[in-house]
Amino acid sequence: MSARRQFRALVLKDLRLELRTRDTAVAMTLFVVIAMVVLQFGFGTRESDLTRFAGGLLWVPLAFAAVLGVGRSYVAEREQRVLDGLLVAPVSRFVMLLARAVAIVGYLLAVQVVAVPLLGIFFVKGPYWGDIGWLMLACLLADIAIGVLGTLVAAMAVFTRARELVLPVIFLPLLVPVVIAAAGATHAVVGPNDMAQYRNYCLFLAGIAVTFGLVAYATFDAVFDD
Amino acid sequence: MTDSGSEPRAPGRGIAAWAIASAVLMAVAIIGAFFVAPENADGDIQSILYLHVPLAMMSLGAFLVACVAGILYLRRRDERYDEVVAVSVGLGLLFVILTIISGSIWARGYWGTWWRWQDPRLVTYLIIALIYAAFFVLRNSSEDDSRARFSAVFAVVGFVSVPLSFYAVRRAQDAVHPTPIDSNGIHIDSGILLWLVVAQVAVAVVFVTLLKLELLQRRTDRALGRLRRVLEDTA
Repeated sequence: MSARRQFRALVLKDLRLELRTRDTAVAMTLFVVIAMVVLQFGFGTRESDLTRFAGGLLWVPLAFAAVLGVGRSYVAEREQRVLDGLLVAPVSRFVMLLARAVAIVGYLLAVQVVAVPLLGIFFVKGPYWGDIGWLMLACLLADIAIGVLGTLVAAMAVFTRARELVLPVIFLPLLVPVVIAAAGATHAVVGPNDMAQYRNYCLFLAGIAVTFGLVAYATFDAVFDD
Repeated sequence: MTDSGSEPRAPGRGIAAWAIASAVLMAVAIIGAFFVAPENADGDIQSILYLHVPLAMMSLGAFLVACVAGILYLRRRDERYDEVVAVSVGLGLLFVILTIISGSIWARGYWGTWWRWQDPRLVTYLIIALIYAAFFVLRNSSEDDSRARFSAVFAVVGFVSVPLSFYAVRRAQDAVHPTPIDSNGIHIDSGILLWLVVAQVAVAVVFVTLLKLELLQRRTDRALGRLRRVLEDTA
Protein backbone atom coordinates (compact mmCIF):
# COMPACT_ATOMS: atom_id res chain seq x y z
CA MET A 1 0.00 0.00 0.00
CA SER A 2 1.43 3.37 -0.99
CA ALA A 3 2.16 6.01 1.65
CA ARG A 4 -0.65 8.17 0.28
CA ARG A 5 -3.22 5.38 0.70
CA GLN A 6 -1.90 4.58 4.16
CA PHE A 7 -2.25 8.23 5.08
CA ARG A 8 -5.80 8.44 3.72
CA ALA A 9 -6.80 5.22 5.48
CA LEU A 10 -5.44 6.44 8.83
CA VAL A 11 -7.10 9.87 8.59
CA LEU A 12 -10.41 8.31 7.55
CA LYS A 13 -10.12 5.83 10.43
CA ASP A 14 -9.81 8.71 12.92
CA LEU A 15 -12.59 10.75 11.35
CA ARG A 16 -14.96 7.75 11.07
CA LEU A 17 -14.28 6.86 14.68
CA GLU A 18 -15.09 10.42 15.69
CA LEU A 19 -18.24 10.58 13.56
CA ARG A 20 -19.50 7.33 15.09
CA THR A 21 -18.73 8.09 18.71
CA ARG A 22 -18.73 11.92 18.71
CA ASP A 23 -16.89 11.84 22.00
CA THR A 24 -13.90 14.10 21.23
CA ALA A 25 -14.81 17.12 19.06
CA VAL A 26 -18.21 17.62 20.73
CA ALA A 27 -16.72 17.44 24.23
CA MET A 28 -13.87 19.77 23.20
CA THR A 29 -16.34 22.31 21.79
CA LEU A 30 -18.47 22.25 24.90
CA PHE A 31 -15.37 22.55 27.05
CA VAL A 32 -14.20 25.65 25.15
CA VAL A 33 -17.61 27.35 25.45
CA ILE A 34 -17.79 26.60 29.18
CA ALA A 35 -14.21 27.77 29.72
CA MET A 36 -14.85 31.05 27.86
CA VAL A 37 -17.86 31.76 30.07
CA VAL A 38 -16.01 30.81 33.25
CA LEU A 39 -13.01 32.95 32.25
CA GLN A 40 -15.30 35.94 31.75
CA PHE A 41 -16.47 35.55 35.34
CA GLY A 42 -12.88 35.01 36.41
CA PHE A 43 -12.01 38.49 35.17
CA GLY A 44 -14.63 39.78 37.60
CA THR A 45 -15.85 42.45 35.22
CA ARG A 46 -19.29 43.36 33.96
CA GLU A 47 -17.95 45.30 30.98
CA SER A 48 -19.63 44.48 27.70
CA ASP A 49 -16.42 45.17 25.79
CA LEU A 50 -13.71 42.60 26.50
CA THR A 51 -12.00 43.13 23.15
CA ARG A 52 -8.57 43.64 24.71
CA PHE A 53 -8.81 40.21 26.38
CA ALA A 54 -10.10 38.50 23.23
CA GLY A 55 -6.83 36.70 22.42
CA GLY A 56 -6.63 35.13 25.86
CA LEU A 57 -10.35 34.38 26.05
CA LEU A 58 -10.08 32.37 22.84
CA TRP A 59 -6.67 30.73 23.16
CA VAL A 60 -6.49 29.72 26.80
CA PRO A 61 -9.61 27.52 26.44
CA LEU A 62 -8.40 26.28 23.05
CA ALA A 63 -5.00 25.30 24.49
CA PHE A 64 -6.62 23.29 27.27
CA ALA A 65 -9.09 21.75 24.83
CA ALA A 66 -6.19 20.78 22.58
CA VAL A 67 -4.56 18.94 25.50
CA LEU A 68 -7.79 17.05 26.14
CA GLY A 69 -8.34 16.23 22.48
CA VAL A 70 -4.77 15.14 21.81
CA GLY A 71 -4.74 12.89 24.86
CA ARG A 72 -8.13 11.43 24.07
CA SER A 73 -7.13 10.54 20.52
CA TYR A 74 -4.36 8.23 21.72
CA VAL A 75 -6.03 6.82 24.84
CA ALA A 76 -8.86 5.31 22.84
CA GLU A 77 -6.35 3.59 20.54
CA ARG A 78 -4.29 2.31 23.45
CA GLU A 79 -7.31 0.90 25.27
CA GLN A 80 -8.60 -0.92 22.18
CA ARG A 81 -5.03 -2.00 21.25
CA VAL A 82 -5.35 -0.34 17.83
CA LEU A 83 -1.95 1.22 18.39
CA ASP A 84 -0.33 -2.21 18.82
CA GLY A 85 -1.83 -3.28 15.50
CA LEU A 86 -0.60 -0.14 13.77
CA LEU A 87 2.89 -0.54 15.17
CA VAL A 88 3.31 -4.05 13.75
CA ALA A 89 1.72 -3.07 10.42
CA PRO A 90 4.03 -1.96 7.59
CA VAL A 91 3.10 1.69 8.01
CA SER A 92 5.82 4.30 8.17
CA ARG A 93 5.98 6.26 11.41
CA PHE A 94 6.01 9.49 9.41
CA VAL A 95 2.65 8.61 7.85
CA MET A 96 1.29 7.84 11.33
CA LEU A 97 2.56 11.22 12.58
CA LEU A 98 1.08 13.09 9.63
CA ALA A 99 -2.29 11.35 9.79
CA ARG A 100 -2.70 11.91 13.51
CA ALA A 101 -1.65 15.57 13.20
CA VAL A 102 -4.21 16.09 10.42
CA ALA A 103 -6.94 14.47 12.56
CA ILE A 104 -6.07 16.77 15.48
CA VAL A 105 -6.15 19.81 13.18
CA GLY A 106 -9.59 18.63 12.07
CA TYR A 107 -10.85 18.39 15.67
CA LEU A 108 -9.49 21.85 16.48
CA LEU A 109 -10.98 23.44 13.37
CA ALA A 110 -14.35 21.92 14.25
CA VAL A 111 -14.11 23.52 17.69
CA GLN A 112 -13.02 26.87 16.26
CA VAL A 113 -15.94 26.99 13.81
CA VAL A 114 -18.06 27.42 16.95
CA ALA A 115 -15.63 29.25 19.24
CA VAL A 116 -14.50 32.02 16.86
CA PRO A 117 -18.01 33.36 16.11
CA LEU A 118 -18.88 33.04 19.81
CA LEU A 119 -15.89 35.24 20.63
CA GLY A 120 -17.45 37.99 18.52
CA ILE A 121 -20.90 37.56 20.06
CA PHE A 122 -19.74 37.40 23.67
CA PHE A 123 -16.70 39.61 23.97
CA VAL A 124 -15.82 41.82 21.01
CA LYS A 125 -17.35 45.21 20.49
CA GLY A 126 -17.14 46.86 17.09
CA PRO A 127 -16.61 45.38 13.63
CA TYR A 128 -15.75 41.68 13.82
CA TRP A 129 -17.52 39.51 11.28
CA GLY A 130 -15.44 40.70 8.33
CA ASP A 131 -12.30 39.54 10.13
CA ILE A 132 -13.38 35.95 10.77
CA GLY A 133 -11.53 34.73 7.69
CA TRP A 134 -8.25 36.23 8.93
CA LEU A 135 -8.88 34.77 12.37
CA MET A 136 -9.53 31.30 10.97
CA LEU A 137 -6.27 31.50 9.00
CA ALA A 138 -4.36 32.22 12.22
CA CYS A 139 -6.28 29.36 13.85
CA LEU A 140 -5.25 26.98 11.06
CA LEU A 141 -1.56 27.87 11.40
CA ALA A 142 -1.70 27.47 15.18
CA ASP A 143 -3.61 24.19 14.78
CA ILE A 144 -0.89 22.76 12.55
CA ALA A 145 1.75 23.57 15.19
CA ILE A 146 -0.45 22.14 17.94
CA GLY A 147 -1.27 19.05 15.89
CA VAL A 148 2.34 18.18 15.12
CA LEU A 149 3.67 18.89 18.60
CA GLY A 150 0.66 17.24 20.25
CA THR A 151 1.07 14.08 18.21
CA LEU A 152 4.71 13.79 19.29
CA VAL A 153 4.30 14.47 23.01
CA ALA A 154 1.06 12.50 23.36
CA ALA A 155 2.74 9.48 21.75
CA MET A 156 5.20 9.56 24.66
CA ALA A 157 2.68 10.46 27.37
CA VAL A 158 0.33 7.62 26.45
CA PHE A 159 3.02 5.08 27.36
CA THR A 160 3.68 6.59 30.81
CA ARG A 161 2.15 5.48 34.08
CA ALA A 162 0.33 8.73 34.93
CA ARG A 163 -0.57 9.65 31.35
CA GLU A 164 -3.60 11.86 32.21
CA LEU A 165 -1.33 14.05 34.32
CA VAL A 166 1.86 13.80 32.28
CA LEU A 167 0.38 15.04 29.00
CA PRO A 168 -0.76 18.50 30.19
CA VAL A 169 2.43 18.96 32.22
CA ILE A 170 4.73 18.31 29.25
CA PHE A 171 2.50 19.73 26.50
CA LEU A 172 1.35 23.09 27.91
CA PRO A 173 4.79 24.67 28.55
CA LEU A 174 5.84 23.72 25.00
CA LEU A 175 2.62 25.29 23.70
CA VAL A 176 3.36 28.70 25.23
CA PRO A 177 4.94 30.21 22.05
CA VAL A 178 1.97 29.01 20.00
CA VAL A 179 -0.54 30.50 22.46
CA ILE A 180 1.36 33.81 22.60
CA ALA A 181 1.54 34.09 18.81
CA ALA A 182 -2.05 32.95 18.21
CA ALA A 183 -3.42 35.27 20.91
CA GLY A 184 -1.29 38.10 19.47
CA ALA A 185 -2.66 37.48 15.96
CA THR A 186 -6.23 37.39 17.34
CA HIS A 187 -5.72 40.61 19.24
CA ALA A 188 -4.12 42.28 16.21
CA VAL A 189 -7.24 41.50 14.14
CA VAL A 190 -10.06 42.19 16.62
CA GLY A 191 -8.37 45.00 18.53
CA PRO A 192 -6.35 47.65 16.68
CA ASN A 193 -6.84 45.87 13.32
CA ASP A 194 -3.07 46.04 12.85
CA MET A 195 -2.52 43.80 9.83
CA ALA A 196 1.26 44.23 9.82
CA GLN A 197 1.39 42.82 13.34
CA TYR A 198 -1.08 40.10 12.36
CA ARG A 199 1.14 39.09 9.43
CA ASN A 200 4.22 38.92 11.68
CA TYR A 201 2.42 36.70 14.17
CA CYS A 202 1.15 34.44 11.37
CA LEU A 203 4.65 34.11 9.93
CA PHE A 204 5.91 33.22 13.39
CA LEU A 205 3.15 30.62 13.76
CA ALA A 206 4.14 29.13 10.40
CA GLY A 207 7.77 29.09 11.58
CA ILE A 208 6.80 27.28 14.79
CA ALA A 209 4.79 24.73 12.81
CA VAL A 210 7.72 24.05 10.46
CA THR A 211 10.22 23.84 13.35
CA PHE A 212 8.15 21.44 15.44
CA GLY A 213 7.32 19.53 12.27
CA LEU A 214 11.00 18.94 11.51
CA VAL A 215 11.73 17.91 15.11
CA ALA A 216 8.77 15.54 15.14
CA TYR A 217 9.82 14.07 11.78
CA ALA A 218 13.35 13.48 13.10
CA THR A 219 12.35 11.97 16.46
CA PHE A 220 8.96 10.26 15.99
CA ASP A 221 10.58 6.95 14.98
CA ALA A 222 12.43 6.83 18.29
CA VAL A 223 9.22 7.14 20.32
CA PHE A 224 7.95 3.77 19.02
CA ASP A 225 11.35 2.15 18.79
CA ASP A 226 10.61 -1.18 20.43
CA MET B 1 19.44 -0.27 25.36
CA THR B 2 22.61 -1.64 23.90
CA ASP B 3 25.97 -1.74 25.48
CA SER B 4 28.64 0.33 23.83
CA GLY B 5 30.94 -2.70 23.69
CA SER B 6 33.98 -0.76 24.87
CA GLU B 7 35.16 -0.41 28.44
CA PRO B 8 33.92 2.99 29.64
CA ARG B 9 36.56 5.45 30.74
CA ALA B 10 36.70 5.99 34.48
CA PRO B 11 34.32 8.95 34.98
CA GLY B 12 36.10 10.00 38.15
CA ARG B 13 39.35 10.65 36.33
CA GLY B 14 40.57 14.18 37.00
CA ILE B 15 37.59 15.09 39.12
CA ALA B 16 39.78 16.36 41.97
CA ALA B 17 41.50 18.79 39.57
CA TRP B 18 38.12 20.01 38.31
CA ALA B 19 36.86 20.50 41.88
CA ILE B 20 39.95 22.51 42.85
CA ALA B 21 39.68 24.60 39.67
CA SER B 22 35.97 25.25 40.46
CA ALA B 23 36.73 26.40 44.00
CA VAL B 24 39.62 28.64 42.96
CA LEU B 25 37.79 30.20 40.01
CA MET B 26 34.61 30.81 42.03
CA ALA B 27 36.65 32.44 44.80
CA VAL B 28 38.44 34.66 42.26
CA ALA B 29 35.12 35.53 40.57
CA ILE B 30 33.42 36.43 43.88
CA ILE B 31 36.35 38.53 45.10
CA GLY B 32 36.59 40.23 41.71
CA ALA B 33 32.84 40.92 41.51
CA PHE B 34 32.53 42.39 45.00
CA PHE B 35 35.91 44.06 45.62
CA VAL B 36 37.75 44.70 42.35
CA ALA B 37 35.24 45.29 39.55
CA PRO B 38 34.34 48.94 38.93
CA GLU B 39 30.93 50.05 40.16
CA ASN B 40 28.47 51.55 37.76
CA ALA B 41 25.55 53.92 38.34
CA ASP B 42 23.34 51.11 39.66
CA GLY B 43 25.46 50.70 42.81
CA ASP B 44 25.73 47.51 44.88
CA ILE B 45 22.82 45.73 43.20
CA GLN B 46 24.86 45.33 40.01
CA SER B 47 27.14 42.84 41.83
CA ILE B 48 24.43 40.17 41.58
CA LEU B 49 24.73 40.34 37.79
CA TYR B 50 28.16 38.66 38.04
CA LEU B 51 26.23 35.60 39.21
CA HIS B 52 22.97 36.10 37.33
CA VAL B 53 24.34 36.46 33.79
CA PRO B 54 26.80 33.50 33.90
CA LEU B 55 24.13 31.26 35.46
CA ALA B 56 21.66 32.22 32.74
CA MET B 57 24.20 31.56 29.98
CA MET B 58 25.36 28.29 31.54
CA SER B 59 21.81 26.99 31.96
CA LEU B 60 21.33 27.30 28.20
CA GLY B 61 24.71 25.62 27.76
CA ALA B 62 23.53 22.73 29.96
CA PHE B 63 20.36 22.32 27.88
CA LEU B 64 22.46 22.37 24.70
CA VAL B 65 24.62 19.59 26.17
CA ALA B 66 21.43 17.64 27.02
CA CYS B 67 20.10 18.15 23.47
CA VAL B 68 23.34 16.97 21.85
CA ALA B 69 23.55 14.00 24.25
CA GLY B 70 19.90 13.22 23.42
CA ILE B 71 20.65 13.17 19.70
CA LEU B 72 23.71 10.97 20.33
CA TYR B 73 21.58 8.60 22.44
CA LEU B 74 18.96 8.32 19.71
CA ARG B 75 21.69 7.48 17.18
CA ARG B 76 23.85 5.13 19.26
CA ARG B 77 21.59 3.87 22.11
CA ASP B 78 24.44 4.10 24.58
CA GLU B 79 23.03 4.59 28.07
CA ARG B 80 25.96 6.82 29.04
CA TYR B 81 24.41 9.51 26.82
CA ASP B 82 21.10 9.05 28.63
CA GLU B 83 22.87 9.76 31.91
CA VAL B 84 24.39 12.92 30.43
CA VAL B 85 20.91 14.01 29.28
CA ALA B 86 19.38 13.52 32.73
CA VAL B 87 22.23 15.13 34.65
CA SER B 88 22.58 18.08 32.26
CA VAL B 89 18.87 18.84 32.39
CA GLY B 90 18.96 18.62 36.19
CA LEU B 91 21.90 21.01 36.44
CA GLY B 92 20.41 23.32 33.80
CA LEU B 93 17.14 23.43 35.72
CA LEU B 94 19.04 24.26 38.91
CA PHE B 95 20.86 27.09 37.11
CA VAL B 96 17.59 28.39 35.63
CA ILE B 97 15.97 28.49 39.07
CA LEU B 98 19.02 30.33 40.45
CA THR B 99 18.84 32.71 37.46
CA ILE B 100 15.18 33.48 38.21
CA ILE B 101 15.87 34.00 41.92
CA SER B 102 18.90 36.24 41.31
CA GLY B 103 17.01 38.12 38.57
CA SER B 104 14.09 38.62 40.90
CA ILE B 105 16.38 40.01 43.62
CA TRP B 106 17.97 42.32 41.06
CA ALA B 107 14.50 43.45 39.86
CA ARG B 108 13.54 44.25 43.45
CA GLY B 109 16.63 46.44 43.86
CA TYR B 110 16.48 48.02 40.40
CA TRP B 111 12.74 48.37 39.74
CA GLY B 112 11.37 48.00 43.29
CA THR B 113 9.36 44.88 42.44
CA TRP B 114 10.14 41.16 42.63
CA TRP B 115 8.61 40.35 39.27
CA ARG B 116 7.81 42.15 36.02
CA TRP B 117 5.85 40.41 33.29
CA GLN B 118 7.23 43.04 30.87
CA ASP B 119 10.72 41.60 31.28
CA PRO B 120 10.90 39.08 28.41
CA ARG B 121 14.02 37.32 29.66
CA LEU B 122 12.74 36.69 33.17
CA VAL B 123 9.41 35.44 31.76
CA THR B 124 11.19 33.26 29.20
CA TYR B 125 13.32 31.70 31.91
CA LEU B 126 10.16 30.90 33.85
CA ILE B 127 8.76 29.11 30.79
CA ILE B 128 12.09 27.29 30.32
CA ALA B 129 12.00 26.21 33.98
CA LEU B 130 8.49 24.80 33.48
CA ILE B 131 9.52 22.95 30.31
CA TYR B 132 12.51 21.30 31.94
CA ALA B 133 10.66 20.57 35.19
CA ALA B 134 8.18 18.71 32.98
CA PHE B 135 11.14 16.68 31.65
CA PHE B 136 11.44 15.00 35.05
CA VAL B 137 7.70 14.33 35.26
CA LEU B 138 7.94 12.52 31.92
CA ARG B 139 11.14 10.71 32.86
CA ASN B 140 9.92 9.55 36.26
CA SER B 141 6.59 8.38 34.87
CA SER B 142 8.13 6.44 31.96
CA GLU B 143 8.62 2.69 32.01
CA ASP B 144 12.21 1.41 32.17
CA ASP B 145 12.32 0.39 28.49
CA SER B 146 11.19 3.80 27.19
CA ARG B 147 12.67 6.19 29.77
CA ALA B 148 15.91 6.95 27.93
CA ARG B 149 14.23 7.33 24.53
CA PHE B 150 11.53 9.68 25.82
CA SER B 151 14.10 11.70 27.76
CA ALA B 152 16.26 12.10 24.68
CA VAL B 153 13.32 13.16 22.49
CA PHE B 154 12.08 15.63 25.09
CA ALA B 155 15.58 17.08 25.55
CA VAL B 156 15.64 17.85 21.81
CA VAL B 157 12.08 19.26 21.69
CA GLY B 158 12.69 21.31 24.84
CA PHE B 159 15.86 22.87 23.51
CA VAL B 160 14.22 23.73 20.17
CA SER B 161 11.37 25.45 22.01
CA VAL B 162 13.74 27.74 23.98
CA PRO B 163 14.40 30.27 21.16
CA LEU B 164 10.74 30.04 20.09
CA SER B 165 9.60 30.91 23.63
CA PHE B 166 12.14 33.71 23.85
CA TYR B 167 11.03 35.24 20.55
CA ALA B 168 7.32 34.83 21.36
CA VAL B 169 7.61 36.52 24.76
CA ARG B 170 9.73 39.30 23.32
CA ARG B 171 7.21 39.94 20.54
CA ALA B 172 4.31 39.96 22.97
CA GLN B 173 5.48 42.78 25.18
CA ASP B 174 7.70 45.80 25.29
CA ALA B 175 11.15 44.81 26.49
CA VAL B 176 12.35 46.43 29.70
CA HIS B 177 15.33 44.15 30.31
CA PRO B 178 18.69 45.93 29.99
CA THR B 179 20.43 44.84 26.77
CA PRO B 180 24.15 45.47 27.16
CA ILE B 181 24.85 43.35 24.07
CA ASP B 182 22.90 44.17 20.91
CA SER B 183 23.43 44.50 17.17
CA ASN B 184 25.44 47.69 17.72
CA GLY B 185 28.03 45.92 19.87
CA ILE B 186 28.85 45.42 23.55
CA HIS B 187 27.97 48.35 25.82
CA ILE B 188 29.74 47.24 28.99
CA ASP B 189 32.67 48.83 30.77
CA SER B 190 35.80 46.77 30.04
CA GLY B 191 36.46 46.23 33.77
CA ILE B 192 32.96 44.87 34.32
CA LEU B 193 33.20 42.74 31.16
CA LEU B 194 36.46 41.20 32.36
CA TRP B 195 34.91 40.04 35.64
CA LEU B 196 31.78 38.85 33.88
CA VAL B 197 33.98 36.64 31.69
CA VAL B 198 35.85 35.33 34.77
CA ALA B 199 32.51 34.54 36.48
CA GLN B 200 31.26 32.86 33.29
CA VAL B 201 34.34 30.62 33.13
CA ALA B 202 33.97 29.82 36.86
CA VAL B 203 30.31 28.81 36.47
CA ALA B 204 31.17 26.72 33.37
CA VAL B 205 33.87 24.87 35.32
CA VAL B 206 31.43 24.32 38.21
CA PHE B 207 28.97 22.85 35.70
CA VAL B 208 31.55 20.43 34.29
CA THR B 209 32.62 19.43 37.81
CA LEU B 210 29.05 18.78 38.96
CA LEU B 211 28.31 16.88 35.75
CA LYS B 212 31.33 14.63 36.22
CA LEU B 213 30.56 14.14 39.90
CA GLU B 214 26.95 13.16 39.27
CA LEU B 215 27.93 10.79 36.44
CA LEU B 216 30.54 9.22 38.71
CA GLN B 217 27.92 8.70 41.41
CA ARG B 218 25.45 7.11 39.00
CA ARG B 219 28.05 4.77 37.54
CA THR B 220 29.28 3.83 41.00
CA ASP B 221 25.69 3.06 42.03
CA ARG B 222 25.31 0.82 38.99
CA ALA B 223 28.59 -0.96 39.68
CA LEU B 224 27.56 -1.53 43.29
CA GLY B 225 24.25 -2.95 42.11
CA ARG B 226 26.03 -5.38 39.82
CA LEU B 227 28.40 -6.38 42.63
CA ARG B 228 25.48 -6.93 45.02
CA ARG B 229 23.76 -9.21 42.50
CA VAL B 230 26.96 -11.22 42.00
CA LEU B 231 27.35 -11.61 45.76
CA GLU B 232 23.72 -12.66 46.15
CA ASP B 233 24.13 -15.24 43.38
CA THR B 234 27.26 -16.73 44.93
CA ALA B 235 25.88 -16.74 48.51
